[in-house]
Amino acid sequence: MKNLKYILISGFIGIAALHSSCEKFLDKPLENQQRSEEIDYSDLSLMYAPVSGVYRAAADDNLVHWIDLSIRCMRDDDFQQAAPNPNDNPELMGIKNFQNDVTIQSYWGLNQSWISYYSLAISVNNALMELDEFEKNIPSGNTEQLALNRQYKAEVRFLRAYAHLLASRIFGDVPILSDSGDIARLTTIGKSTVTQVREFIIDEMNACILDLEDARPNQSKHLGAVTKYSALLLKAKAAADLAANNNSSPYWDQVLEATDLIIDSEKFSLYGDYYNLFKRPGKLSNESLFELQYSDFGLATGDIVRPGVDWGTFFRWQGPSGNQRGSAISGAGWIPPSQNIVDFLNDRGDALRLKTTILEYGASEDTYAETPDGDRVYGNPFGIKYFNGKTYLPVDQMTEGRIEYGANNNVRILRYSDVLLLNAEAKVRKGQDGDAPFNLVRDRADLELLSNVTLEQILDERRAEFACEWWGERFNDLIRTGRAQQVFGSKFVPGQSEYVPIPQTQIDANSNFR
Amino acid sequence: MKNKLLTFAIVAMMSCISGVVRAQNRTVTGKITNEQGTPLVATIAPKTTSNVATSSDESGLYSLSVPETVDSLIVNSIGYMTKTVVIRNNVADVQLQVDGNYNLDEVVVIGYGTQRKGDLTAPVATVNMENALKRTVSTPMDALQGAVTGVQIISSGAPGTTPTVRIRGVGSFNNESPLYVVDGMFMDNIDFLNPNDIADMSVLKDASGAAIYGVRAANGVIIVTTKRGSLNMKTKVTYNGYAGLHTPTNVLKMASGQQYADYAIAVGNKNIVDNSVSKFGGQDGRPTTNTDWYGELLRSNALIHNHNLDVQGGSEKISYSFGINYLDQDGIMDTENYHRKYNIRSQTEARVASWLKIGFTAHLNNFNAFAPNNAAFRQAYFASPLYPSYDPSLELADPIKFGSSTTLGMPSGFWFNNPLATAYYNHNETKGFQVLPSAYVEAEFWKKKLTFRSQLSQRYQSTHNIQYTPVYYIDNDQRSQRSYLRSAQARNNNYILDNLLTYRDETGKHHWSVLLGQSTREERWRETWVSANDVPQSEEFWYVGQGAQGTGSATGYGEGGFRNAGISFFTRGTYDFDNKYLLTATFRADGSSKYQTKWGYFPSLGIGWVLSREKFMENQSLFDLLKLRGSWGLLGNDGIQPNAGYAIVNSGNNFSGIFGSVGENNGVRVPGYRVGRFFTQVRWEVVEEWDAGLDFALLNNRLNGTVDYYYRKTKDLAFSRPIPFMWDRVYGNWGSVANSGWEIGLDWKDQVGQLDYNIGANITTLKNKVTDIGALANIMNGFPEWSAEFPARIEANQPINYYYGYEVAGVYQNTAEINSDPIATRYNQENPNSPILPGYLRYKDQNENGELDEADRINLGNYLPKLTYGFNVGLNYKNFDFSVAFQGVAGNKIHNLNRAMRRKYPQMNADAAFMEGLWNGEGSSNTYPSAAGSVAAWNLQASSFFVENGAYLRIQNMQLGYNFRVRESIPVRIFATADRPAIFTRYNGFTPEVSGMGFDSNVYPISSTYSLGLNVTF
Repeated sequence: MKNLKYILISGFIGIAALHSSCEKFLDKPLENQQRSEEIDYSDLSLMYAPVSGVYRAAADDNLVHWIDLSIRCMRDDDFQQAAPNPNDNPELMGIKNFQNDVTIQSYWGLNQSWISYYSLAISVNNALMELDEFEKNIPSGNTEQLALNRQYKAEVRFLRAYAHLLASRIFGDVPILSDSGDIARLTTIGKSTVTQVREFIIDEMNACILDLEDARPNQSKHLGAVTKYSALLLKAKAAADLAANNNSSPYWDQVLEATDLIIDSEKFSLYGDYYNLFKRPGKLSNESLFELQYSDFGLATGDIVRPGVDWGTFFRWQGPSGNQRGSAISGAGWIPPSQNIVDFLNDRGDALRLKTTILEYGASEDTYAETPDGDRVYGNPFGIKYFNGKTYLPVDQMTEGRIEYGANNNVRILRYSDVLLLNAEAKVRKGQDGDAPFNLVRDRADLELLSNVTLEQILDERRAEFACEWWGERFNDLIRTGRAQQVFGSKFVPGQSEYVPIPQTQIDANSNFR
Repeated sequence: MKNKLLTFAIVAMMSCISGVVRAQNRTVTGKITNEQGTPLVATIAPKTTSNVATSSDESGLYSLSVPETVDSLIVNSIGYMTKTVVIRNNVADVQLQVDGNYNLDEVVVIGYGTQRKGDLTAPVATVNMENALKRTVSTPMDALQGAVTGVQIISSGAPGTTPTVRIRGVGSFNNESPLYVVDGMFMDNIDFLNPNDIADMSVLKDASGAAIYGVRAANGVIIVTTKRGSLNMKTKVTYNGYAGLHTPTNVLKMASGQQYADYAIAVGNKNIVDNSVSKFGGQDGRPTTNTDWYGELLRSNALIHNHNLDVQGGSEKISYSFGINYLDQDGIMDTENYHRKYNIRSQTEARVASWLKIGFTAHLNNFNAFAPNNAAFRQAYFASPLYPSYDPSLELADPIKFGSSTTLGMPSGFWFNNPLATAYYNHNETKGFQVLPSAYVEAEFWKKKLTFRSQLSQRYQSTHNIQYTPVYYIDNDQRSQRSYLRSAQARNNNYILDNLLTYRDETGKHHWSVLLGQSTREERWRETWVSANDVPQSEEFWYVGQGAQGTGSATGYGEGGFRNAGISFFTRGTYDFDNKYLLTATFRADGSSKYQTKWGYFPSLGIGWVLSREKFMENQSLFDLLKLRGSWGLLGNDGIQPNAGYAIVNSGNNFSGIFGSVGENNGVRVPGYRVGRFFTQVRWEVVEEWDAGLDFALLNNRLNGTVDYYYRKTKDLAFSRPIPFMWDRVYGNWGSVANSGWEIGLDWKDQVGQLDYNIGANITTLKNKVTDIGALANIMNGFPEWSAEFPARIEANQPINYYYGYEVAGVYQNTAEINSDPIATRYNQENPNSPILPGYLRYKDQNENGELDEADRINLGNYLPKLTYGFNVGLNYKNFDFSVAFQGVAGNKIHNLNRAMRRKYPQMNADAAFMEGLWNGEGSSNTYPSAAGSVAAWNLQASSFFVENGAYLRIQNMQLGYNFRVRESIPVRIFATADRPAIFTRYNGFTPEVSGMGFDSNVYPISSTYSLGLNVTF
């Protein structure tokens, strides 16, 4: 059979040709998906890359998401409510009223908050694994690179600790997620107590302080990265939470020691112009200990790095609502400052802080008020009177052509004034004289100096200095000093109202959160 | 090699010619077909003597030399009635009618070949293309809705969208849709085809049929053969076309202005009403504005027309077909949007030698689609009717004075934008073409026994998408300060090389066949996009280089792509004894680049027993056919995401932190990356399927039917499951799920006087059960973004992804009911600021602990229909024909997510039924909450309030036709069609056809189509 030949020839040529290259044909890596194994860990110039990636994660969303922001600070008496219309996201009013039941537990915003903070922790854990890989490639004699490796690890550990602090201040007993290499662990990990979380933070910071750069963040090699002093302040804050209202708590020693170290370094000073501290000139000033950085690169259009999604950035979310007639000074109008904080600042004659913190809407939708920089703000339909001046960026400070509220401004998190006031508080609680650090803060705010300051005066100063900032500091101060019920009345039930419930959907995914 | 082939060809031709020369008597030629025109193999013998009998070939052609004295022929084919024809002009084309006693000789297209229907051990459904063509649909699969047992088709109704196709339930999350094999090429959908291009569609549902496609077969296989000519066929030209209008149907009635105003006042938003009154007119509480957003957004009639010209024919050596068709469909949104495509199809087959065929098929598709911005429909669902669509008083609005919800004191932005503006400021156009060339060689090395076929099928697709947003202003949130252009080009480049060796033989009553095959395939996709701001408005300048001159970094760009490759070896053996005892076995080994485990093996076995051919059935007259079938096999699914299996590095601008944003300085990026660490080693997703079936024909073949029971279990079901702590989901093999049920298809065909009629019905039942989810107690799932509030849950021994929440037991009618209810009493004590009031939903305390807690949540139903059915009636009377087709589903639930979205958007409008149903005093409703309650968190929990019955029955298609002849040789049919004219459902949404997990967020109205058509053949 002649034909048979053709069968064999045509058939086998085809098959054999393909079969020989078969394994290679199938065993190619995926396209456009870089494998972690392909990172050249011996190239130490890449070593900061995983760290930079974590900063970006924190700045993109994890620490600035609009609903997290609203939930985090809304319970403060500094804020009137969350949404400008209280019917919008009714659970938020429930949370502000310390409601704690299943309807709150299934609220999407709580789940978002939980995920924001823990996603950051997981990003850090992953970055630490990357840094371990780099470490393996550093010759043991290269102490300089080894030190850098430790420093970078400490930077991301700071971010992880800060995420845990926020999570615990909102949810109370939460897991310590310092290791997430194994997925199975995520569904079985249990909760730690509020105290354990603070102790974890202190331990972490004690370790990091040794490795971090001894510089002010705006002098750091990577301008604006966290340094030794950021870690000292975070440690002090965790210790202050633990010390609570107990003047004899040994944790006050830790607060004092940590803040003293920062002050004694003489690297920090309060930024002279409190009003501009929150605006462009005040970005990463000598007062800043931790700040999230953004940029529009000086461009009117195109490339921009912003805090959150474009319609709901950290700034736009708090910008004035209503018909602003095309002005860049506009936003969703959420978390409006309360009359309470306005009165508080007025009553104590705190004019500079009032001007800085509280901006007014026009009296009606057709009339406008002017900001100190001369930008017009028309009234809104919700009858809301104020918006947050600390997120206000005047039009004349913006890159020309940009109309996005707050573009190119940074988000301030930790400041030197916190160091000074914690230092004063620790001293006063320990029966020492806290006047010196205290008066530095007052002086900058154009207030008369006081002597023999009391705890009450310090706590009031804390409220005024950090008024309407975004980290729930006021609420935390009320909790740790046991003054919450005094402020909120009977709706605040000690032992019940401090924390919001862990989201139901998280409990469904890990029953140990129950 | 070439020379030898040529020699062969010449020799073959010579022998043919010599055959003609030798003829002494007269030679009769012709073609044997059945009523549908399908060629038949038949024996042809002179009436007077049977010594010179011949048989027709697979194209139905024969040539027979007979003495001049013979004047008629007897034509015989198994399964058909014997026919005697008189010889005229030496040409005798014969059309045979199906013998009522036997219809098993029909040839059915199966994987990599064909098989006699009588020998099938698998339930292979062949689609009646004649009925399918009656439907005026833009994609072929829409025409199958309700027509085939075991096949559920969910069509969203939006032009140019791919319908969801499920064969025998959901066995995978990765890719529900079946594999389409178009003339040998693997496709994910066949939207590009015009129904007129298709000659034949076979649906392989069970393992015995589909396992030959191995790793791609888990969701069933649909084999599509496009039209082709046959040898010695007189050229046949067919025009088929229709023109019609489609009109939105079943448009959900939204609340009117007054209803919305009353509602707003009741929930405490009177300021909205006051604003409307003061700005747009009315009296206190009675605004005059009543904007019907859907009415404004929809066209009442949109044009659709479709033209198809088809030419088929063949000479002695060459057969060909050529088709061209054009579809033009306008969308129902009243703005620029359309879908236009033309297809050109060409198929040629040449018989180079008696044993050698070569063929070439090519499809060219060209399309141009202008996509509407469907977000406008979502906004129309949300928008308050209390502000006007256009508002000349808005001084800054530019260039068009669109109204703004901010004038009411409502937020704008997001879903509260003006829907008309969203529709208007949209340019999203995709142009593209696709070429599907396929070439094959088929050599019959041993006459009728051994055939080798090699086929190279390719697909080249290229698309270009342009999106442009002009500069406009409506209000602070709804505006575009700078124009924006995005231009994206994508290319698909796939090929499959198949090599098949088929051996067929028989001795006595034993028949057998063996297929050996090998297949190699590769799929590549790559997309490149660029974007820029400040591009001029005129379309001629829509190039990114025209944008943002001077600020170079205003442009953006990106690329995406993938490559998948596979190699397979497969074989099939069939054996039967006397067409009575049947056996089919297949085996496929598949290698895929997507898996960590590269190779998978997929066997199947099918058996059949034709009882009606047994001696003991000979003397009964009830059954014309009775056949039992059974099959088992394994099928694979490689629709899994290819990115699993290692940690992925994300780097670039979006993963780099900003440093140095100090004072007046702009920060810069420091290169960064993040690693996605969560991955698992993904294994093959394998479906094990059992099938038992019965085919029968009764009462002189008037009743035909098939009954199948199927049980398919997906092992190592791969999907992404949520994990605690993050939005990321982890992809892995997390469970097993089983689908089982019955498929029953019945067809009755008879004649009363001059009236021919037929009635067909099909029913498929489905029982879905999760059999295993490993060590996990459950997996929470749900609609993205809403899974925390309205979860779906996966739990062993329950249907997959059932809605999970509280059961509503009623509505608290008065304070006494609240006070006597432990749940409410307790809640009100703990939450004095937001108490439960009359008009709030009462949830059932499942664990009776007097508190509403997580344990009170239960299974509220599931999205998979327990029953899918269709039935159709056809009538033929003289020159008239009429047909009507119904289809429906029952036993499924829909989660009305549109209503549930009030949880995040309390100011949204609602459907009129919702407004009218609201509790407004004792005894007014026991199902709906009060208006004030409808925005309270208590009533917005996941509960049975949002879960509705998803059953529907729809008149899918009605058609009336009239047949006549212009000339004897030119038959003409004109027809009037109504597509989807009516639906019967109690569901409160636009359409009960909801894809995915049944969370209905669809706000796109479906449309009915009314058309007139013409079909001419000459």
